[in-house]
Formats: sequence, C-alpha cells, structure tokens
Amino acid sequence: MFAAIIIKYVSWLRALPKSDLVLLGKGLVSPQTMMAIWEVVCESLLHRRIFRINKRLGYMHMSLAFGWFLLIVVGWAETVAYLGARWVPLQGHVFFKYFAALNGINTHIAIFDFVMDLLLMFVLSGVALAWYKRRNSAKLGMKRATQHIFFDKIALTALWFVFPVRLIAESITAAIYGGGGFLTGGIGKLLSMVVSDNILEWAYEPIWWIYSLALGVFFMAMPFSRYMHIFTEIPLIFLRHYKLRPQDKEKSYDNFEVEACSRCGICIDPCQLQQQLGIHDVQSVYFLRDRRYNMLQQKIAHNCLMCGRCEQVCPVGINLNTLRLNSRTSMRNIPNEGRYNYLRGKDYSMGEGRVGYFAGCMTLLTPNTLHAMEKIFTAARENVWWADKDGGVCCGRPMKLTGETDSAQNMMDFNKRLFKQHDITTLVTSCPICLRVFREEYNLEGIEVLHHSEYILRLIQQGRLRIKYNAEQTFTYHDPCELGRGSGIYEEPRAVIEAIGKLLETEHNRKNALCCGSSLANTVIDDKQQLSIATNVAEEMDSTGAKTLVTACPLCKKAIARGTRSKVVDLSEIVAGNLR
Amino acid sequence: MINFGFSISRPRVIDIDRNNLNKSKEIIAEMPELQACIGCGSCTATCTAGNLTEYNFRKVHTLVRRGEYQGAYEELNKCMLCGKCRLVCPRGINTRGVIMLIKRKLGDF
Repeated sequence: MFAAIIIKYVSWLRALPKSDLVLLGKGLVSPQTMMAIWEVVCESLLHRRIFRINKRLGYMHMSLAFGWFLLIVVGWAETVAYLGARWVPLQGHVFFKYFAALNGINTHIAIFDFVMDLLLMFVLSGVALAWYKRRNSAKLGMKRATQHIFFDKIALTALWFVFPVRLIAESITAAIYGGGGFLTGGIGKLLSMVVSDNILEWAYEPIWWIYSLALGVFFMAMPFSRYMHIFTEIPLIFLRHYKLRPQDKEKSYDNFEVEACSRCGICIDPCQLQQQLGIHDVQSVYFLRDRRYNMLQQKIAHNCLMCGRCEQVCPVGINLNTLRLNSRTSMRNIPNEGRYNYLRGKDYSMGEGRVGYFAGCMTLLTPNTLHAMEKIFTAARENVWWADKDGGVCCGRPMKLTGETDSAQNMMDFNKRLFKQHDITTLVTSCPICLRVFREEYNLEGIEVLHHSEYILRLIQQGRLRIKYNAEQTFTYHDPCELGRGSGIYEEPRAVIEAIGKLLETEHNRKNALCCGSSLANTVIDDKQQLSIATNVAEEMDSTGAKTLVTACPLCKKAIARGTRSKVVDLSEIVAGNLR
Repeated sequence: MINFGFSISRPRVIDIDRNNLNKSKEIIAEMPELQACIGCGSCTATCTAGNLTEYNFRKVHTLVRRGEYQGAYEELNKCMLCGKCRLVCPRGINTRGVIMLIKRKLGDF
C-alpha cells in the first residue's frame, strides 16, 4: 500500500511544471509549512470543515479518522509499554493482543485497556453512523448519498468490518485470557459466562484471521479506491499552502486534488441539476471519479452549470470548477489556428473618456440595461468610452467555458489591445461573466476593472449620483454566480438597492445563492430544463413578497424573467429610474 | 470548347439523394431539437461574430443538415460561442450545443 502511494506521489511531483516546482521550493522553508501542518491536524484528523457543514457527518468522519489515528498511536504506546524500551514499528500493535496472549503476557495495564476501549467505542460509533447513513442518509442531513462503484464498495465493506471484528476478537481474547477494559473486558466476561470455553478457543484463531483479512483487503484496496483521500489530503494541503493551484490546462498537481476527493457526496445535495432536474450522474463527485479512472465522457464534463455551489461546500476544498474546466480543455482544445483573423483591425468603439464601458454580448441583448447605464453616466457627468456599443468582440469566457482555451485567448488578446489603445484607467462592465474574465485572465495593469454595481455605489458615495429613497418600494436580489461566488461581490449591489428602497432577502442568498439555470457553462441541458431551474429561482424570489426582482447580470435577468410574471430588472435600471 | 469569355455558374441545387447524409443523421439523432428550427434567422441577426464578418449560423446548420459539409467546420470556427443566439431562439434550441456537436462531427474532436 505504502509503496503504491509513494510511487504515485513521487511521479506526480516529478511531473509538476517548473513554475510549480519553484513555488514549492520557495514555500518549503517558509511559515507556510507550519501553517500547513496545523491545517493537516485540523482537517485530516479533526475534519473541522465538515463540522461546519454538517455536525453529524462531521462527527462520523472525525470518529473514524481521529479515532483510528489515536487507536494506532495509543496502541503503539501500549505495545512499547509492554515490550519495554525497544524499537517497535508503528503497526506493531495490530496483532499485539493476539500475540501477547499467546506469549503469556498476562499482566494488564488498566489505563491502556480503558483508553483503548474508549477509543474503540469512539470509532465504532462512527462505523455505526456510517452504516446507518447508508440506509438512511437523510437522517444525517444528506438527501442523497454517493452511488459508489463496485471497487469502492469492497473497500467500504472491509472498513466497516475491521472495527466490529476487532471488538469481537479482543473480547474473545479477554474472555479466554482475561484483561480488557470496560468494553472488551465486559463483553469478554459475558461471553465466558454464556459460551463454553471450547467454542471460544475454537473461535479464537478464525476471528483474528477475519480481522487480519479485513484489514488486509482494506489496505490493499486503499490506494486505488476512494480511501486514497486519507493520505492524499496531506500533501494537497502542503502544496496548496505553497500556492499551487489547478489551471486552464491539466497538469500534474491536479492528481492531488482528484485523488483527495473522498467521494463523501456532500457536493450532490446543493447541485441544482440534481434537485431540480433529477440528473444524478454529473455531480462533482462522479466527475472526479470518472476523471480519475479515465472514463470521463464529454456529456458528463459539459453537463454542469459551474455555479460553484458544490465548490462552496466541498470539505476538502477541491477547486471543482477549475478541474472541470481543464478537463473540458483536454477534450476540446485545439491549437490556436487563426480562426479569428477577421478581427484584425476592427474597432467599433465610440466616445472619448478615461472610463471605459464594456457592455458585453449579453448586455447588448438587454438594451434596457444599456440605456440605464447611459443615463447613469450622463447624470454623473462621466466621459465614457464605449467599447462595444455598436458591436464588439466577446470577452472570451463563454468560449473558454466550453474548453477551447486557446481560441478564447485570441478574443482576450483583441480586447486587451483595444483597452490599452484607448488609454482608459477604469473599465466598467455590467456583465459578471466579462467582469470575471477581465479580472482573472486579462492582466490589465493600470486599468481598474469594476462591475457596474461597484461603480454605481462609488458614484453614490461620492455624491455624484443623487437617488430618491422610497421605503414603499420593495426589492429582492438574486446573486449571479459569476458575481457572487465567482468574484466575491455580494454587498455592493445590496448597498445600492438599500439606497433606493427596501431589500428583502431570499432564502438562498450570498454564498448559497441559486443559479438562474441559463449558465453558459452548460451546453447539455435543453430549454425546458433551463426554464425549470429559472422558474424555481423566480418562485423563491417571488415568495419574499417583493414587487421587483433585481439582479446584476443580463443573463440572469433574461433567465429569471422567463420564470415569473413579476418585473425583473437589472440593478442599473432601478438606479436610472430613481435618479433625482 | 469555344471560349466565349464567360462561364456558366455552377448549379446550386442541393441533391439530397446524392449527398451523404450519414453525418447529418448522426447530428440530428444526438440533437433532435435542431429539427424544430423554423429558419427565422434570429440567431444570425443577433450574432456577435456575424456583426463583424460574413458568418451565418442559420445557413451553416441548414446546409449541414442537407449533407453539404464543405467548409462548414471552417465557417463555424468564426463563432465566439457567446450564447446570444440561444437566448433569442424562439424554438429554444440549444444552439451552442449544436455548434459544438457539428464541429465535433465534422472536425477532429
């Protein structure tokens, strides 16, 4: 087992690109290493993050991981205590009770017996919960649990058997030879009263064999099953502290993230494709599994809204969206082939000003937003350079989301050159999709990129926009995925709305916000399915009782408007409509 | 042949009996919704790429369905996949999916 794991890690590390190795080298002798060690304790042993998501699941995982860890450590200490000061391997305790009894060590140190039994009970409680969860996951706060493949089931079964069998084996040992703490000793006494000595003697060997086999099967299966996460999370935490991240294209580091997935299935519940559409084979847990075993299909990789709701709850903190994106890239990217040569020399921009406004494709499709922005710019007396009012080039993110990274780069280069040419210092966009790619991929040094919600709020704070406040007006706000989880902008749009009227929050808001369903990342679901998600989102917004549904993304606006009869507007529209 | 100084344009008839419709059938089998197209041209009217160059999605997918694959892949390469066509399609056709599918069938994905 250890050989397999070490071979895997070493080959992955060797395959890391140079830039990553540099990061690794720099990080190794920095405080980051200490912080990583602390995080390993918190996460790999105590599982703090799962606790935050769900206490019962947290306890289950912690009792198994931390409990087992302590069993090994205390067991080792016990073995050392018995055998005296000599070198004992860490696994020395596994069959200690068996051999100790055979070799006539009959003295017992009560404190060890007690602690070991306590720990065993701790672990067993976790196993019991795990058993229960398989039968009724809803009771533990998971509406749907992962459907495991056959191989995982073998490893899982072996793991479940390890501890109950150990309990029986130690109890029988205690029954025959005495000793044992309150648990094994107690059961042992009971057994020796009820069952005859002959049977106990007869069962002694087989039960220890079963225990040994269960352990063996589990450890053999571990590097190739979901349980690889037990060890992989540790190097992952270190590498993450050294600032290694997955990128547009697959690289060796991704292996650490892919195999650190424990297939716990926490990502399944928040997925709207699952909740709303009943699609059960595309969630991150299945995606990572398929990718790991090289059986990923385009259909699965592309059937995802990339809303980031699963990433939000992943207890291992895997960059699920980025991994999916670079899988798509591996499947579809073709070398840059000059397909956008027709862009050369095109420039449809107009106006002069240090502030640039990039509407983006979707805003051009929602002219109300565009007109509202025009009104706002006029009211604030801002000179604006309109990048694409009369048609422009897409920001490149939609193309990138389908995996054609190199082609998308063409469009990005074009737009970047355009921005530089016109010498702007601020770039405002009303489309969160564009915003995200401008911030993350464009490297626009010297140009401040703002979403229109940030820009409008700034105008209000500077007193350049004067707005009528009317408490009678009620609004509810939908967090667009790319703006909220994608770019971390939650409060600015809310502040703008609260300057105009009363804001009523939806049930899922901010980090837990729902996706409108029309996400450009998904090219598989059809119109009806999109509409079904949109209707669900719109219903939730309507249930707040607000008169107007507000969002800050032209795509979300179009999507949600299809799902309701209420008025759906962009943030800029309510601002433009309430100017003084 | 006598050279009159001009030639006759090649006939532009699409002979469906002669064309190899295998790819077309595969495409329609994977995305039957494409048959719901009424040819309104909204996709083309709103197209970001079509605004900058000669590119007509309606024409391309119609030709492909009739088995005229020549040049379709290169033509679809002009697309920026921005997704406006999908939003305006009155029949709710997943146009981005269609473009990716045709490219996959005709290209080397």
